Amino acid sequence: MFVTGRMFALGMLIAVCVLIIICMELAKRKLPTFRRIAGLDALPEMIGRAAEMGRPVHYTTGLGELNTNMASQLVAGLSVLSYVTEICAKLGVRVIYTVYQSQVMPIATELMKEAYTRVGKAEEFNADDQVRYMSGEQFAYATAVQGIAERERPAANIMIGPFYAESMLFAETFYRIGSIQLAGTARGYQIPFFAVVCDYLLIAEEIYAAGAYVSKDPVLVGSIQGQDIGKIIAIILMFVGLILTLAGSSALINVMKL
Amino acid sequence: MSIVMKKSVPILLVFITSLIFLAEYFVFPELKDVVTLLQNWGIILTAFTLGFGAVNMFMFHGKQVSLRAKGQWPYSLWLLMILVLFTLVGVIMGATSTSYSWLYNSSYFALSATVYSSLGFYMTSGIYRALRAKNAESALLLIVGVIVLARNAPALAAQFPILVSMDSWLSSVPTTSAQRGIMIGAALGAIALGLRTMIGRETGFLGRLTEGEKGG
Repeated sequence: MFVTGRMFALGMLIAVCVLIIICMELAKRKLPTFRRIAGLDALPEMIGRAAEMGRPVHYTTGLGELNTNMASQLVAGLSVLSYVTEICAKLGVRVIYTVYQSQVMPIATELMKEAYTRVGKAEEFNADDQVRYMSGEQFAYATAVQGIAERERPAANIMIGPFYAESMLFAETFYRIGSIQLAGTARGYQIPFFAVVCDYLLIAEEIYAAGAYVSKDPVLVGSIQGQDIGKIIAIILMFVGLILTLAGSSALINVMKL
Repeated sequence: MSIVMKKSVPILLVFITSLIFLAEYFVFPELKDVVTLLQNWGIILTAFTLGFGAVNMFMFHGKQVSLRAKGQWPYSLWLLMILVLFTLVGVIMGATSTSYSWLYNSSYFALSATVYSSLGFYMTSGIYRALRAKNAESALLLIVGVIVLARNAPALAAQFPILVSMDSWLSSVPTTSAQRGIMIGAALGAIALGLRTMIGRETGFLGRLTEGEKGG
């Protein structure tokens, strides 16, 4: 019944899920302490700066699609979009969300409309202007975003999601126009590009935790603790594997192949 | 729209779909046909949403043209003309026709390659600012950057073969370990996000729900 070679992975997945659920339940009683994520803490300040300068905020989720393995990064980006839109609506700052995949448009429109409604400014939301479909082609999308940067000069640029070659085009263009930038991606090859150019960076797992972090919901925050315990298990497994391999045993490798 | 249709039904759909995908991958490979069917539905839905994109473009750029928006309207007009041209050629002659392929290859393909090539200049300007020894970390980045750059310059690599082995060690040991650490963290993060989404706690993609809407 079980697929050979995937049993260990299934066992680990179940174990991590159980740990996360336990941590979420425990967090209802006592909120765990965890390190601050500078980039997410800086969001209100970034938007405040845009309000002072009277310039918009640009937000994009990169080449995120809902029907590929990049969907999780897109969902993470959308979680933060809701939070960013809410602060922008409160401060009267126009947020421009640029879209690569048309399938994201109805979701983003609804999500942003709700954020405006929550702060009682539903009438200020202009979907045609604030949710802009660019193109489903990578470099057409990239140049369209660069065009917005040059013409509308956003004071802040927030990029959370899967990014490819366009990462450096965006980061450099927005740097040149003086935008303060927050970037986050789980794509390892693009992290260095963002790291050298952007003011704030979310590295891999931080983008997945971002939605929980900004929500301040104790149950969601508890899941981050569960995620960290998973990391401790991974480190222990690595050490055990190292010792066993040095001792000439392939026991752990065989278990992992189950 | 009631809260059930707007929130509960999507969360239930996400839960059931996720379970089917997980079951097919780990336990019941015979569910492959169901998974393929669901993926095809996704592709069809995506194709439908292209209409939203086209309408959005016409609305936004049409407005820019009619208002003669400064610095924007000529680009908007050009975009709308190209959009109509591609649509007409695609619909009348077919998206696989020679005319459509010629149009695509001689316009978008060339422009796309040009933009991609320009990336080199953006990288140079970014790295120029980054490679400055302002503190210990940036000094380390500078040293490593210089080694990798020198190794990729054929004349220097030929003169100093040690650069090749240094670059090889940097790529296969510290860089690979860091990348694996990031990958493990990202995988655990994705699991946590997936679980929160499946059980309806992570609802950022549906808008931020109240406790009542989440069901406590």
